[in-house]
Amino acid sequence: MTEDILRVHDLSTRYFTQDGQVNAVSNLDLRIERGEVFGIVGESGSGKSVTARSIMDLIEPPGEITGGEIKYRNGEFAETVADEHPNAVNGEFVNLLELPPNVRQSLRGTSFSMIFQDPESSFNPTLTVGEQLAEAVEVQRRASARPRSTRARTQSEEYSLGNFLLSTVLPSQKYITEESRERAIELLELVGIPDPVERADEYPHEYSGGMLQRAMIAQALAGEPDVLVADEPTTALDVTIQAQVLDLLDELQEETGMTILLITHNLGVIARMCDRVGVMYAGEIVERGSLEDVFDEQVHPYTQGLLGSVPDLEGATRRLQPIPGNVPSLLDHEMDDRCYFADRCPKAMEDCLEHPPEFEVPGSDDHEVRCVLAEMEYAESRAVPDDHFSETSRTAADKHADPDRTEDDVQPQRAEQPVDDSGGDRL
Amino acid sequence: MISDRVKSNLKQTFSESLLPKLGLLLLVSIVFMAIFAPVLATHDPTRTGHYSDQGTAYPPLGQDLTTQIAQDGDIVEVTVEPTSEHILGTNNVGQDVYSRFLYGARVSLIVGLLGTSMALAIGVPFGLVAGYYGGRVDDAMMRIADIMLAFPALVLALALIGVFGQTPIQVPDPIVLAGLADGMPESIPIPGMVTLVVALVTWVWFARVARGEALSIRNEEYVKAAKSFGTSDRTILLKHVLPNSLTPIIVLATIQVAVIILLEASLAYLGFSGTTLSWGYEIERGQDYLRTRPWISMLPGIGIVLAVISVNLLGDWFRDALDPNIEGEGR
Amino acid sequence: MTMGKFLIRRLLQGIFVIWGVITIMFGLRAVSPGDPATLMLGEGATQELIEHVREQEGLNEPIYVQYFDYLQGMVVGDFGYSWISNREVEAMVIERIPATVELAVAATVVAIVIAIPLGVISATRRNESADYGATLFSLLGISTPNFWLGLMLILILGVWAGIFPTGRRPVGFAEAVMTLVQHGSLYDLGIWLQYITLPALTLGTYFTALITRLTRSGMVDELGKPYVTASRAKGLPSVLVRYKHVLRNTMIPIITVLGLQMGTLLGGAVITETVFNWPGLGLRLIDALNARDWPLMQGIVVFIAIAFVSINIIVDSLYTYLNPQVREE
Repeated sequence: MTEDILRVHDLSTRYFTQDGQVNAVSNLDLRIERGEVFGIVGESGSGKSVTARSIMDLIEPPGEITGGEIKYRNGEFAETVADEHPNAVNGEFVNLLELPPNVRQSLRGTSFSMIFQDPESSFNPTLTVGEQLAEAVEVQRRASARPRSTRARTQSEEYSLGNFLLSTVLPSQKYITEESRERAIELLELVGIPDPVERADEYPHEYSGGMLQRAMIAQALAGEPDVLVADEPTTALDVTIQAQVLDLLDELQEETGMTILLITHNLGVIARMCDRVGVMYAGEIVERGSLEDVFDEQVHPYTQGLLGSVPDLEGATRRLQPIPGNVPSLLDHEMDDRCYFADRCPKAMEDCLEHPPEFEVPGSDDHEVRCVLAEMEYAESRAVPDDHFSETSRTAADKHADPDRTEDDVQPQRAEQPVDDSGGDRL
Repeated sequence: MISDRVKSNLKQTFSESLLPKLGLLLLVSIVFMAIFAPVLATHDPTRTGHYSDQGTAYPPLGQDLTTQIAQDGDIVEVTVEPTSEHILGTNNVGQDVYSRFLYGARVSLIVGLLGTSMALAIGVPFGLVAGYYGGRVDDAMMRIADIMLAFPALVLALALIGVFGQTPIQVPDPIVLAGLADGMPESIPIPGMVTLVVALVTWVWFARVARGEALSIRNEEYVKAAKSFGTSDRTILLKHVLPNSLTPIIVLATIQVAVIILLEASLAYLGFSGTTLSWGYEIERGQDYLRTRPWISMLPGIGIVLAVISVNLLGDWFRDALDPNIEGEGR
Repeated sequence: MTMGKFLIRRLLQGIFVIWGVITIMFGLRAVSPGDPATLMLGEGATQELIEHVREQEGLNEPIYVQYFDYLQGMVVGDFGYSWISNREVEAMVIERIPATVELAVAATVVAIVIAIPLGVISATRRNESADYGATLFSLLGISTPNFWLGLMLILILGVWAGIFPTGRRPVGFAEAVMTLVQHGSLYDLGIWLQYITLPALTLGTYFTALITRLTRSGMVDELGKPYVTASRAKGLPSVLVRYKHVLRNTMIPIITVLGLQMGTLLGGAVITETVFNWPGLGLRLIDALNARDWPLMQGIVVFIAIAFVSINIIVDSLYTYLNPQVREE
């Protein structure tokens, strides 16, 4: 069964900052099959986190999804929303971007859920882990108790401020029920946390990083989602813990058959977990295909460069080969109409001065690449002179030039969102 | 230290937002008004007599539009509404409201700036020493600070003034001495005790902030290095700890100027100022005539609000640009 | 550290602080110019009489004896006698407490009821007109001297609009409640409410503005934290994200600031009471100062310090209770 569960077409997400428009994700195409693990790999600032958040509908101002489709296959859901939003529905697929925010919100937790890279800051420090898991369970419980109609879904905000205020005096108005608490403990047990009953009453700071990441996985599983988005799930963890968390994800995926969208900069993680892979660069997927396609038959020089910069797990002797040059600026006015990798590409040719479309790579039925090398051989005679990009490229060797440094970059989304936080005090 | 980064942050925040510009404009206007009060004023603000230069009467307020006053046996008619001579009328003792408004800016600004400087001078060394040495020294010094905090600033200020009296200090007015303004008082009274007292009741906020900074700076590598070279504590405090803790202190100092202006106004309103040439005092004077001549109290109040807003806007600007994390301290 | 140990340590600190306050007040009295006996008796008293009073009051004892007598009195709750009215200071303080507490509580309620929603709206609708309005309001609020604000409220709402009475209040809260209990009449309570509105607004404005600012900036910081995104990702209703998670975490540090600000509130009460002729401790303090009535002044100041310290102990305990990271340490 290889039906698609998610089809992303032509997705563009922009940030409108004081420095100008940032094209975090541009015209991105993506297809994820039910039950597979799809990996997105790229340097920090390549737009992979923004892609994940666009799918989750977690983009916040000044960010905005400016175009494209995110189509989610769920027959039951399609029927539910067909009456009120006919143009969003196409067969079993629903284009999520055509739905109002409250309907999309109702999908979070139940159809899509997400785990984040830094478990310590992704839990509220002042509530117990059990309470926070129970919230996620309750979201699912209330969603499934809801009558299946659009109206009910659009009125999904059934827990109002009034309820919340009442809950401070009336226990019956509390959001979380006893069953949810019990289920939360079961979930903690499921992800291998010892003494789950006691642990549920502890606060995040009493957990170790690895334990907390397990708890976050449990929280994401609470809604029994179709698609689990894992954004750098192991980056913040020790190497030994990383392996345990990946094992856990593997196991859970086998048991539940859910689909995982795995975002990482770590090719080792991709190789270990994924069925199919997309390589992101400058807000685009530059190469995608099966794991074998990308790892063994890769066409794009960027993919080659990335693979060259992975420390070999078996023989740690191979030297790292960082890709020379800088992470490209995603500011709209600084992006020329060319292959965005051309300035760092060892095989840049005159043909690369025009933005390349996606080419199908011959020899595989599902391998596409955004590089002219798919259609022609590299020819020295057509090479772009070395100094062609020197005016535009910034001089200082940016630290991001070394992809290995991204390990330290705990919050890549920060780099992508030059959000102005101080703006409010102005008139 | 004031690094280039800080400067560029300040510049950027300033250029991006209207509020700091407004604050600066307001403050410059008020400072101008304060300095050139003798030139801008139309009457000697302290003259309470019933006679103007022309021999006609200054009207004391609180009487009818025209009324008769016995002066040295003579009956004279006086006017109390704003006239061409007194554009905003006079107060209950016949002083020109407009001229007093101008002079009031002086007291507010001088007490605000001097009081803050004195509070800085007491609080910063205290806090730096406590934070730098830590341990028992810190404990003992912070308990003293706790005691100071237990007094509401206004209450302690009242008590201190109640004990030590009000003691205004007469300061010669350079503008009048320079011959720029005729007929204005040659010296103005600065409420000296109030200035000292506001510093005594607010220094503890500087101590708290300076201590916090010193506590973190003393663990920095460069301080440890300096220690290992045998640099004296005094040198380390002056050369390393103080410069590196300046940012939050500057932000706090700006906020404190606003707080102290308000405190001075409150003391003057309650009659504990030592000078009558103060906005707060003038509000109290006009209070009894609120129903009939509200502007006497309104005008100085607006003066206080504008002065405090201008300083607060600058404080917000510094805070936004420097991000010192001292939210809520010292108010 | 357990909660019990924390409380004991905090109580001991509080006692130390109050001792410090008492000592400073004694010191001020000792260095203050003017002879107490003369002050007590007024001008024109005979030398003989003054000497008699000095002896009686222990003013001829060495200073340390006077200090210990004074401290001893304070410990057992004997604050001495007013020099002017010759009444017990404790009684003079206690009879004025309800009015001040009513005012302070009303002002705090006003501040919290207005400021928190305003701060939340401001933070969640950043750079919209509601935010600009709230920012402007809070800027004005922290920049306006409250005595002047009080006068302007009297002028505008009392004199011009005639909505609120401006005189001294005829009935206190306790009496109003008594009327309700005995006669089932809400009339006195209504009167009480009418009279307390303007003073409460006057005293509360500064706090409203301050809490609005703190809530806004705290919430903006908090909203940017990853756990907020994570809560939204798990599908939690936005009401819960906003109030159960974000607002709660925003308020935890603000609570400590508010504890420290209680000093400003009590100081503000002094001046607000003066403006509105409100029969509370503040007004009595001003009277005592003007009359140089030392024992009364000391009694009031020490009482205010005790109130401040107690409030802060409660606030610190609350903070410790609400913040699990501190609780465990």
